[in-house]
Amino acid sequence: MTYILEAKELRKQYPNKLALRGLNLQIEPGEVFCLLGQNGAGKSTTINLFLGFVQPTAGAAYINGVEVASNPLKIKQYLAYIPENVMLYAHLTGVENLALFSSLAGFRYSEKELLEYLANAGLPAEAVRRRVGTYSKGMRQKVGIAIAVAKHAKVLLLDEPTSGLDPKASNEFSELLRRLSQQGTAVLMATHDLFRAKEVGTRVGIMREGELVDVRPTATLNANELEQLYLTYMQ
Amino acid sequence: MIRSIAKKELVSTLRDRRFVVLSVLMLALLLAATLVGRASYRTLQRERQVAQQTVNDQFHHQPNRHPHRVAHYGSFAFRPKAGLSFLDAGLDSFTGTAVFLEAHQQNSVNFSQAQQASSLIRFGELTVAFVLQLLVPLLIIFLCFNAFAEEREAGTLKLLLTQGVSLRRIAWGKITGYGQAVALVVVPALALAAWLLLSNESFANSPDAWARLGLFGLSYVVYFFLWIVGAVVVSARQQHARTALVLLLGCWMLGGIILPKATANLGANLFPAITKAELDAKVHEDAQKGINGHDPQDARSAALKANLLKKYKVDSEEKLPVSVGGLVMAESEAYTAKVYQQHFATLNHTYERQNALTVWAGLLNPYQAIRPLSMGLAGSDFAHYVHFQQAAEDYRYQLVQRLNALQTSMGYGDKERKLDAATWRAIPTFAYEAPVLGWALGYLVGPALALLLWAVGLSWLGLRAIDKTSIV
Repeated sequence: MTYILEAKELRKQYPNKLALRGLNLQIEPGEVFCLLGQNGAGKSTTINLFLGFVQPTAGAAYINGVEVASNPLKIKQYLAYIPENVMLYAHLTGVENLALFSSLAGFRYSEKELLEYLANAGLPAEAVRRRVGTYSKGMRQKVGIAIAVAKHAKVLLLDEPTSGLDPKASNEFSELLRRLSQQGTAVLMATHDLFRAKEVGTRVGIMREGELVDVRPTATLNANELEQLYLTYMQ
Repeated sequence: MIRSIAKKELVSTLRDRRFVVLSVLMLALLLAATLVGRASYRTLQRERQVAQQTVNDQFHHQPNRHPHRVAHYGSFAFRPKAGLSFLDAGLDSFTGTAVFLEAHQQNSVNFSQAQQASSLIRFGELTVAFVLQLLVPLLIIFLCFNAFAEEREAGTLKLLLTQGVSLRRIAWGKITGYGQAVALVVVPALALAAWLLLSNESFANSPDAWARLGLFGLSYVVYFFLWIVGAVVVSARQQHARTALVLLLGCWMLGGIILPKATANLGANLFPAITKAELDAKVHEDAQKGINGHDPQDARSAALKANLLKKYKVDSEEKLPVSVGGLVMAESEAYTAKVYQQHFATLNHTYERQNALTVWAGLLNPYQAIRPLSMGLAGSDFAHYVHFQQAAEDYRYQLVQRLNALQTSMGYGDKERKLDAATWRAIPTFAYEAPVLGWALGYLVGPALALLLWAVGLSWLGLRAIDKTSIV
């Protein structure tokens, strides 16, 4: 079977730290895989390795069957990325930012389509023509979501995407992930938010000191069990 | 992709109030420098034309005189300002503007603007070239130092890259966008310069002036391009925008202030030039070995006289059809001129070696490549100055020898007679023909190649370095 996301013995050694110790991971289309773990556990390194922003010391990461390290540009067509804190161009408006990032990804949308993407991401209509410099973190996050959705990517890589969002925005975000998942988009999300992981994830993986120590389907756990499991590994 | 990024950079830049303020200031400086330079050019040019016309009229309206008195009365050659010197005054402020032309003597070109100006001129003039060479690069530094560093710090770089754009394309997009922003500042000033040129009939119909202006503009396009590329590359290779800014300002100071002064001092020490007084003393000393036209007891004059008597088969000077004095003067002038030319060539060779060092320095420092290129195209460099000096000396020599020939044709006893005033009106006055662009280009190949090498080398090496830039 071809996995949309796959890591084989993926290892990353920094000059003074072993960040990832031979990660093996397979994610299917439509799956939402949540990586849990403390800071420094290797979650962001895993995301960066899939993005091709850091080179693996050993092993390989694949997206849609294409090795990331040797095809850093090609794999970008399959993925979209939302970081913890979406930073956009402050001197451009929300709609200008979306138009720019979409055009770079090869999509030319009409003004109407761009406004639709922003509206679907939950950005208030009055904000779309304001410069992003005046946006709150949540509003920037929504533009980031619109950028990701407008790319029609097969894979969504998320690094603490709900951190700092208010409950309503977080809830809207979860709803969006569910929708994308139903459309076949695979999601790999690094998060500290156990509640959100249980809510939207199909599987959760717990990372500790660069190792994926446990992987469970979320359907087999309730929220308390997940919390207990997490705390057990973090001790 | 490149176009989208370029457009984003341009729009962001134009919406950045800091850049707008800086750009407006820079544009105002450029326009002021163009207008002030043009006004100064017109004033100086008119002054020199009037002065040249006055001395020409005075020369033509001399009374009945002996030709040798006319040779000592002499004339002046005023150096006309080159058409584009209002954009780059080059060495014009420091080189002389007028030379007294007389018999037996090769005078230096005197009355430079610096001699007649206050000490403030030591701080440099506000010329278009000064703004383009030193201030626009500062604007570029402030515009580009955070090109990549800020994106990395803010996290937008990651987002850009996930859209499938390579670092190299992002760099080219940024270079194009910043280039357009810089063009918005520089092009109006050059357009004004072109319009001012067009308003002058003699330049409007001169393909040479237009070609010079075109190459002048093109040279600065290359110069700004390499500053933009350099700034973007430094920004990409530094983790923090602040470090990139400090590094770029360091490069600006090194290239614009320290290296040019160091090179000039090194050149003067490696190839010391003699002073004007030493040159005059040497010429005088060597000229003593030739015929002295004003010494009737001179042994070489006597030998010449003996040869003449033999040639014309007569036994006394009175029977000669020519004036011995005139021929002696001609011989003396030819010898002195030859001696002077030899020393002048030696001195110029020394200056050329000093200048060659600057040309080589252009390989290390693009400022030292654009400077001679700009001056050369504007017609205000050392080569153009020497061309004028040479033209003035050629005219002086021809004039004096023509007067010596007139004296010779007067025969024996010429010193007691005078020639009619109409004789002087038949003598052509000094009319300087500035060298054409093709001539000037011969001197500019080195700096032009250095600048191109910088542009190509920096683009190639810099963009390869950008490919290896760390993203996280």
